[in-house]
Amino acid sequence: MIRQTLIEAAGNLLAVWQRSLLALIGIVVGAGAVIAMLHAGAMAREETIRQFRQMGTDTMVLRADSNTGMGNFRLGDIEATPEAVPLIREIAPFMIGGGTIISEGRSRNAGFLGVTAEFAQVARLPMAEGRFLSPFDRFELLVVVGHDLAQQLSSPFAPLRVGSQIRISRYVFTVAGILEPAMMNPMLPVDVNTTLFLSLPNARRVIALPSLSMAVARLQPDADPELASQMLQQHLGPGLRDARLNVLTARQLIAGMNSQVQLVAMLLGAVGSIALVLGGVGVMNIMLMSVAERRREIGIRLAIGARRRDVRRLFLAEALILSLLGAALGVGLGFLGGIGFAWMSGWQVSFSPIAAPLGAGVSIAVGVFFGFYPAVMAARLDPIEALRAE
Amino acid sequence: MLELRGITRRFRIGPTERTVLHGIDLDLAAGELVSIMGGSGSGKTTFMNILGLLDRPSTGTYCIRGEDVLAAKADAQSLMRNRMIGFVFQQFFLMPRLNAWRNVALPLMYRGTPEAEARRRSEAMLQRVGLGQHLSHMPNMLSGGQKQRVAIARALVTEPALILADEPTGALDPTVSREIMGLFEEMNRELGVLVVIITHDPGVAARCRRRLTLVQGRLLEEDDLAKARAA
Ligand SMILES: Nc1ncnc2c1ncn2[C@@H]1O[C@H](COP(=O)(O)OP(=O)(O)O)[C@@H](O)[C@H]1O
Ligand SMILES: [Mg+2]
Repeated sequence: MIRQTLIEAAGNLLAVWQRSLLALIGIVVGAGAVIAMLHAGAMAREETIRQFRQMGTDTMVLRADSNTGMGNFRLGDIEATPEAVPLIREIAPFMIGGGTIISEGRSRNAGFLGVTAEFAQVARLPMAEGRFLSPFDRFELLVVVGHDLAQQLSSPFAPLRVGSQIRISRYVFTVAGILEPAMMNPMLPVDVNTTLFLSLPNARRVIALPSLSMAVARLQPDADPELASQMLQQHLGPGLRDARLNVLTARQLIAGMNSQVQLVAMLLGAVGSIALVLGGVGVMNIMLMSVAERRREIGIRLAIGARRRDVRRLFLAEALILSLLGAALGVGLGFLGGIGFAWMSGWQVSFSPIAAPLGAGVSIAVGVFFGFYPAVMAARLDPIEALRAE
Repeated sequence: MLELRGITRRFRIGPTERTVLHGIDLDLAAGELVSIMGGSGSGKTTFMNILGLLDRPSTGTYCIRGEDVLAAKADAQSLMRNRMIGFVFQQFFLMPRLNAWRNVALPLMYRGTPEAEARRRSEAMLQRVGLGQHLSHMPNMLSGGQKQRVAIARALVTEPALILADEPTGALDPTVSREIMGLFEEMNRELGVLVVIITHDPGVAARCRRRLTLVQGRLLEEDDLAKARAA
């Protein structure tokens, strides 16, 4: 009987296949969006954990903000920080800029970072080739090149390497070192892979409006970031004149990112839920239409001995087939959506183990829920009325 | 076997009420072949719906084999229809998306007969009504007469006590009509099933042993009708 019911239900759906397809699309999109959302959420979590590991929880970024724009740290204050604030293990100030660089006749734009020798250590940037800038040659025209930028400046015939020359405005710099590829660090305002590193005196020469407005620091093991922030305010605040000190800790950043990720996930979830409800309404719609069109058929079934529950079961089977099929296709779409999300955000593809069962379960439940009302309507038809229908 | 007493049926149409059946008493015995005639709108279908447990009379009692069938609830009446009654309609009313044997098997499926057995019995019944060559044909590939044979096979496959046919030859030409009537006679004779045929066609009625007529909401036997005419 169940087999027969399923065969009949499938036949009925095929007979009005355009309508079935429409309802199916609703369910597929709904299930797909919900599943993609769950995958994206899982990937975001993994990504956060990875960045957390990579940055270390002990990283802090300091920024001097003034009402007119960027403030200036006093280099001496920064250099004295580890002594004045013992919770800070190491600190490296930097200034941000950018401009056109010319190498081997090719010109391109790049971000500049004016740094001290400590920067590579504090920001954990390993060298692929050569060495980083040192305190002794800060007046020499030397640069260190990020990994991707080095590749962009290379041609098959003339790879950029240590000793290559790079021109910025009227200065000709020599490459002292090239960095290893580094993971995107959300604490830093730049992508180090596409950045050119110069000493602070050189940066003041090539950056339009140089201001030493930022620093990256690391805490002592187990130091309290809150306490460290307060102490930094006391130590650096007075030297900033009208600027304010902003301290961002890795913890704060990760909390912020998490809430952002949660927002995106919730949005996706809302879209998915709406699509699912629309899909459910679609199922209800086509089933109400098919109940109206098949009144006489229902009358015949009742006449030859179908009970109300037999009629109900026939229509529920149609809803079930639609939602099972929709859920199956939706799982596929959800995985594709997850891959697309990873591709767009540059994250590593990973899947949530609960996404497929949860998304499929919810969409089947929605389909059957919305199929229930038409099925009950069908089962309640009066046999004579139904038989008289055209 | 069937016992109806004081059956009336009133329809409420807006504020007015219309009585279609006026206190019908009727006894039908197993193995009878009965025709019911009557003008259009005389209430033949209404009466058949009551006989077939598709509708309930406004007043009156109805027993089948001594069992009060009006006391039963809707689902219980479904079971009674499935067990005891087979319907044949003017417009055949086959399931368009089921082939011949699946159409015949449908009432068996609803009583939970396993598919293999339902198929065997349906095919045997199709053989009996002369459609042994058309077991797996879809309804739209069959002629009117063949469709009605499938419908008759569907009505008979459950071995009912009663076949109710509402103008079964109304949509068929005279030759086919006679063949279908012959089939009813044969099934009535061989299976001993009680057959009630509602018809407009005097030729069809003439082949039934007992002839009833609905006049102004009352059911008259042929003799009574003759007396009423004479008077
Ligand atoms: N559900 C209903 N509501 C109102 N009137 C009805 C209903 N069913 C039948 N009637 C009326 O009852 C009368 C008998 O109808 P019916 O039994 O179909 O006649 P027929 O003898 O042609 O089969 C008709 O006048 C019809 O309009
Ligand atoms: Mg009629």
